[in-house]
Amino acid sequence: MSRRYDSRTTIFSPEGRLYQVEYALEAISHAGTALGILATDGIVLAAERKVTSKLLEQDTSAEKLYILNDNMITAVAGMTADANILINYARQAAQRYLLTYNADIPCEQLVRRLCDLKQGYTQHGGLRPFGVSFIYAGWDNQRQFQLYQSNPSGNYTGWKATSVGANNASAQSLLKQDYNEECNLKQACELAVKVLSKTMDSTKLSSEKIEFATVGRTEKGTIYHHLWSPDEIDALLKEHGLAKQDEEPEPSSGGDPAAGVAVH
Amino acid sequence: MYVMEVLLGITGKDFTIIAASKAAMRGASILKVNDDKTRPLNKHTLMAYSGEAGDTVQFAEYVQANVQLYSMRNSTDLTPYETASFVRSELAKSLRSRSPYTVNLLLGGYDPIKDQPQLYWIDYLASCANVPYAAHGYAQYYCLSILDKHHHPDISFEQGMKILRMCTDELKRRLPIDFKGVIVKVVTKDGVREEPYEDDKQVLAP
Amino acid sequence: MASGYDRALSVFSPDGHVFQVEYALEAVKRGTCAVAVKGTDPESQVVVLGCEKRSALKLQDTRITPSKISMVDTHVCLAFAGLNADARILVDKARLEAQSHRLTVEDPVSVEYITKYVAGVQQRYTQSGGVRPFGISTLIVGFDPGSKEARLYQTEPSGIYSAWKANAIGRSSKTVREFLERNHKDSMTRDETIELTIKSLLEVVQTGAKNIEIAIMAPGKTVEMLPGEDIEKIVEKINSEKDAQAEASASRRGGQRAAAGDAAASAQGPEQVLAQRPAGEGSGAPPE
Repeated sequence: MSRRYDSRTTIFSPEGRLYQVEYALEAISHAGTALGILATDGIVLAAERKVTSKLLEQDTSAEKLYILNDNMITAVAGMTADANILINYARQAAQRYLLTYNADIPCEQLVRRLCDLKQGYTQHGGLRPFGVSFIYAGWDNQRQFQLYQSNPSGNYTGWKATSVGANNASAQSLLKQDYNEECNLKQACELAVKVLSKTMDSTKLSSEKIEFATVGRTEKGTIYHHLWSPDEIDALLKEHGLAKQDEEPEPSSGGDPAAGVAVH
Repeated sequence: MYVMEVLLGITGKDFTIIAASKAAMRGASILKVNDDKTRPLNKHTLMAYSGEAGDTVQFAEYVQANVQLYSMRNSTDLTPYETASFVRSELAKSLRSRSPYTVNLLLGGYDPIKDQPQLYWIDYLASCANVPYAAHGYAQYYCLSILDKHHHPDISFEQGMKILRMCTDELKRRLPIDFKGVIVKVVTKDGVREEPYEDDKQVLAP
Repeated sequence: MASGYDRALSVFSPDGHVFQVEYALEAVKRGTCAVAVKGTDPESQVVVLGCEKRSALKLQDTRITPSKISMVDTHVCLAFAGLNADARILVDKARLEAQSHRLTVEDPVSVEYITKYVAGVQQRYTQSGGVRPFGISTLIVGFDPGSKEARLYQTEPSGIYSAWKANAIGRSSKTVREFLERNHKDSMTRDETIELTIKSLLEVVQTGAKNIEIAIMAPGKTVEMLPGEDIEKIVEKINSEKDAQAEASASRRGGQRAAAGDAAASAQGPEQVLAQRPAGEGSGAPPE
């Protein structure tokens, strides 16, 4: 039945639904999980990256986490090519705001700019919607630390902890169980790796498979954002006993066979 | 003749005073004696303008509409600093266009987040400076020295008004034309209000 | 049935339907309910907007809840039902027009003018190439500058607009409208208007005060959002009145326990009273 209303541009189905948008959401539910957790003194974003080949250069390019602005970072789930367009747009919007007002764009405004663009692609031009969901982490002096999520329809919501992508239902229920509003950034990081370790296909994590970023406040009170290096991620994993065992011996040893199976 | 128009700004402990002359002039003639050369931009920002007649109101209304649009769209106001930056960038754009605005501005405000008064001096060449007190036109020559001597960042509102009185007296004494007194407005954490100001007193040159 | 004439974005079918517009109305019906009521007390008129509010999930940040009620200008208030993202765009266009109007003619917009503008934009999206209509209906309320007469308009995806004494849009709007038709009176006071708004919303909102949002407009004033406790109190009052009525009719049928029942009902909190009432159409829809 639905076939007839889902072929070309985004139009209403007889029940008043937008199938193209719903299909875009479907596409995202196969993407690697991304999650964000709001702490009292910062925010952590973490994402699962799907390693497709051992030959892929690992440390040069972030695939899931991007910096939008001096006060904001984002995690992506969905079609990376679409995400690049949107991220570029957001970065430009943020700089334009900075040029006009000499101040960082408030988080919600940047999210809204992006969502307005996403909405446009669900309404006109004979275009398909963007196949990406985002989690945004940022700070501004109106609302301090903030966490948002947006989806292909152009809707956005504010969260204390949230997840998108594959297994996001189970990630969400884990977050609901274990999230504590009073937690600090360190505890939030711990929760993030814990949730990822449970929702990812492989039981043992490594810096190859996840990305990590934090927004926080330095001792001097300025806001920083930081995309973690592989070493920092491995250190965090080791601290919480979630690291892959073959991390201890030298990498040339080939590792244990179980780890090899996990990557497919 | 807009150098004869008086714009004054004085900040203090918890307020910004803006005074603007009430005479609307064309050449050597006075057309109106109760002109208000100020516009409130949002709850905590007030703009005073002088310059080419026509340009001034056109530009002020344009800025006012945009600042209010920002408030409606984002359910939050621009801070005085952001407003000043916006005004400056609009003037800079205009300056490099075919028909630039000739407008000088004082932007007085109160930053409710930092909890302090703010004053920006902006001229038609799009320079913008955050200052404790300011004047435009000939008033600069007569008033800045008075303000240099008597101003202090912690002055109370009453002291601020006293210094303003010294300034307007000096202007009456020295300016070659009658600027018909000043309209005085005050920005505090509670918003913008007009302050009654006695203009009739005669001041004689020595 | 629809056969091909609903594919191209907005063309007439042989029997004279523009399907995309009709389907957009379905999107409106899937949205949460919004109600507006004019109180035309000759002393001081008011107009009240009431919205069904989805309750926030545990992990949602309550500081950031996009409201269904938004200000177009300081004297015009808009509530919508339908697609959230579409509404954001439409409201933004209306806000731009409101300020642009101030700049060009030095007067704030009248409520009818801005309604006409919103409806005009919606109409354009039913007739332009390659676009789908806006999936929203709106209720636009407020007071014209300098006027003490309450205004209330509705716009639809088709671009139709109309003036009302009271109306509802969104989920179960038919039930609510019928309720309003039965209970609306001319020259209601402020309190009566608020109470009728909440009462009508309770027809579809089973979960009570925490899922209701109320905005009140009065002449020359900015919008007033009614605090949660006040809504709670009114809901409580409505429910105890209803229960008293039910008890009364029950006792008329022969029971002698009216007094006892009354006391019991008033001792209970609003939540408990609400739970006793049968769930009607569209109740208990889990928030997404």
